[in-house]
Amino acid sequence: MFDLVVKYAAPLKHVPPLPHVFDALLKIWSLLSNRNLLDYLDELEREVLLWKGTSIVIHKYGGTQFNYHGKELGHIHGNGLLDVLFNRKVKAELIQKYTLNEHHIFKDSGWISFKIKNPEDKQIAIELLRLAYVSKSLTPAPLPEERGGILLDDR
Amino acid sequence: MVKPPPITKSKIFDGILISNIISLAIVGLTKFSADGLESNNLGSGSGIFIFSSFVIVPLLMGFISAWYWHPLQLKTSHYIGWSAVNSVIAILASFIFLREGFICLIIVSPLIFGFVVTGALVGRIIFRRKNDTLNVSLFGVLLLVIVVDTFSGHENVHMVSDTMIVNAPIEKVWPHVVEYKPITIKEEYWLFKIGMPSPIQSTVDGHEAGAGRKCIFSNGYVFDETMTVYKPNEELTFDVIGQPHDPEIMGHIDILRGQFILKDNGDGSTTVIGSSWYKLYVFPGWYFNVWSESITRNVHLRVMDHIKLLSEENV
Repeated sequence: MFDLVVKYAAPLKHVPPLPHVFDALLKIWSLLSNRNLLDYLDELEREVLLWKGTSIVIHKYGGTQFNYHGKELGHIHGNGLLDVLFNRKVKAELIQKYTLNEHHIFKDSGWISFKIKNPEDKQIAIELLRLAYVSKSLTPAPLPEERGGILLDDR
Repeated sequence: MVKPPPITKSKIFDGILISNIISLAIVGLTKFSADGLESNNLGSGSGIFIFSSFVIVPLLMGFISAWYWHPLQLKTSHYIGWSAVNSVIAILASFIFLREGFICLIIVSPLIFGFVVTGALVGRIIFRRKNDTLNVSLFGVLLLVIVVDTFSGHENVHMVSDTMIVNAPIEKVWPHVVEYKPITIKEEYWLFKIGMPSPIQSTVDGHEAGAGRKCIFSNGYVFDETMTVYKPNEELTFDVIGQPHDPEIMGHIDILRGQFILKDNGDGSTTVIGSSWYKLYVFPGWYFNVWSESITRNVHLRVMDHIKLLSEENV
């Protein structure tokens, strides 16, 4: 369904607020079809917001965008599809290591797409965003045991 | 299930209550303004339920509820669940305070739910940032859209046409097109089954252009029509001059005209083409036209099936 809409109704993504309505519908569908998926997305969001300098905004084409000091690390759609931007060399290495796909639209780019379905996928998604964060910030994202439980969202 | 603390319950309740009060006030005000403009011949259309009512207001409801809920750090699934509750309350409030019809509310409920959830989920992310300038600007833009929309014209005329082959000569079909005895076929369309009135009978005052025609519906409602074209065995066109004062219809749709065109197929059968023209006052048109087209099509088919049955009886 997601692929069909992206393929045949792409121009509508420029009509506000249609991409956000579509993403909300994806989330409703996710809630009905894979009850835990939205919890994984919430946990992923909470984890990334613990890294210094990160924030979330609404992605212009629907979904949640993760930023580091205003620069995009990646974004996630309501169906659990995570898109993360790397350079092409890193992308090639990651595709070897994980079950990743080319970006669902920008095939010939550094973008990768990864579908979250279960808790293991959530961990891989966190790893991917952590790699993007490290490459942007040049400082390692704190591991869970190093954080000391400080909530750094709402910045 | 873990029982939420009182502060959580109170914030959730506030989000639902305040968003409903504000949305009812806005819809009431826009309705009042549109009615006022029209009665003073200042408005360009009967914008009783405009784009804003079903798109911007539910979005705003979602935003307002998210404003109250965001400090609670609720899960996304809870946002969707509480938004569903919020939508149900808004629909009930429309039934009680705006006197909307039951079928109309069924039709509009997916739209309201979709936009309330969208507003709440977008608000959930936006309000985390504690950017008051952005937040005030967002409310300002939405209110501006509502005001502009209220004062804009809303013309939305559509036509639906259906074709049926009747296995009877044209002269056997024509009398049943002009007027027909009560329909006894069982209702198949789901909206008719749950209470939407369906066509029952048609009667005429005379057999010439200018004569009156009545289309009677299952709940006793009557559409008064005047036949404008009366060409036996060829064409019957009628303008609707009076429609029932029903909350399901009033301010939502005007049925303008109906038409039957008959074509002799040369093999003892007749092609009947039934068409209706209507004007929608509810927006967004693309959404409501999907419903109007489906309802009109099923009215056509019910009448045309009946005409087919009567015409083929004694062939």
